[in-house]
Amino acid sequence: MLKVAAGDRRAFAWLFDRYHASVARFAFRFVGDRERAEELTQDIFVKLYRNAKAYQPTARFKTFLFRVATNHCLNEVRRGEYRVAHTSMETPEGDEAGAVEMAGPDGDRPDQALAGRELERVVGEALRDLSARERAAFTMCRFEGMAYRDIAEVLEASESAVKSLIHRATLAVARRIEELQAGAVPARSRA
Amino acid sequence: MSCHFEEDLTAYVDEELPAARRAQVEAHLGTCAGCRATEGLLRHAVARLAELPDFAPSADTRRAVLARLDALPVPWWERLKAWWRPAVLVPSAGLAAAVGLALVVGGPAREALPEELEDATEMELVANLELVEDYELVGLDDADDLEVVASLHELEVAQ
Ligand SMILES: [Zn+2]
Repeated sequence: MLKVAAGDRRAFAWLFDRYHASVARFAFRFVGDRERAEELTQDIFVKLYRNAKAYQPTARFKTFLFRVATNHCLNEVRRGEYRVAHTSMETPEGDEAGAVEMAGPDGDRPDQALAGRELERVVGEALRDLSARERAAFTMCRFEGMAYRDIAEVLEASESAVKSLIHRATLAVARRIEELQAGAVPARSRA
Repeated sequence: MSCHFEEDLTAYVDEELPAARRAQVEAHLGTCAGCRATEGLLRHAVARLAELPDFAPSADTRRAVLARLDALPVPWWERLKAWWRPAVLVPSAGLAAAVGLALVVGGPAREALPEELEDATEMELVANLELVEDYELVGLDDADDLEVVASLHELEVAQ
């Protein structure tokens, strides 16, 4: 009995290991805050377990998982808990863990690290100004590489609606990036 | 920026347009400087987004999740055991065949399994998880196969 239980535990742990980075990435881009993203990731996996009975074999597992994740994040935003979360994205250097993990491959080049932080900041600001559904669609598309069809399934929307969400979101982010490069963003520490 | 092609430009960049529409947009881009500029803007943004560092959750997340599941009123592994009970799965010859098929066709995904998952029971549990995820890729789209897959769902109440 214990052995079976141990096996089950490993099966679930395997599921977690396979997908938690995707869920965490989604949550992070959605709320813009690393600690809350980790809390949300925990919540989502607990919810996934509790909602296992709602799983329809007609949906692929990743679609089901992202539906749980998206609904959870949308509900959190509706409750207003994460309204100010994005401000923390503006000061990654104040967050020790964040500074290390967000440094990226160019962390050893100060100018590039700065450019990376500025990019992170304007993208975070642009995402904050999107509607929750635009942000969800954009995040699944740009950071998970999901097809429009799959995103439509997650959001229970038409592909054409998803196309609009992703277009509006991408255009908004693109304009922020353009402003950053044109030097039009009133950044605190642009060299 | 009120050109009616504009709203299709992101889908064009993402290669998500049907071939006919894609050809129309391509032809239009040759004649509309505004859309060409927007297309460039979008492509550049998509490329820059790829430079963003990945978000890596802390290692504590895993431990915290498993601890929270352990703290649920009914131990989570008891429920999970009912959910994917191998003993219930085995009598279904069709399902066994489907799992076999998934094991054969879904080979590459399963090679990534950790080595400690050698125990047959564990492998079967994971195979069921995989089956649910992979049956579309595996091409289980005829009625019998779908019925087999649908029966996976019913196993949840078969405790
Ligand atoms: Zn045009």
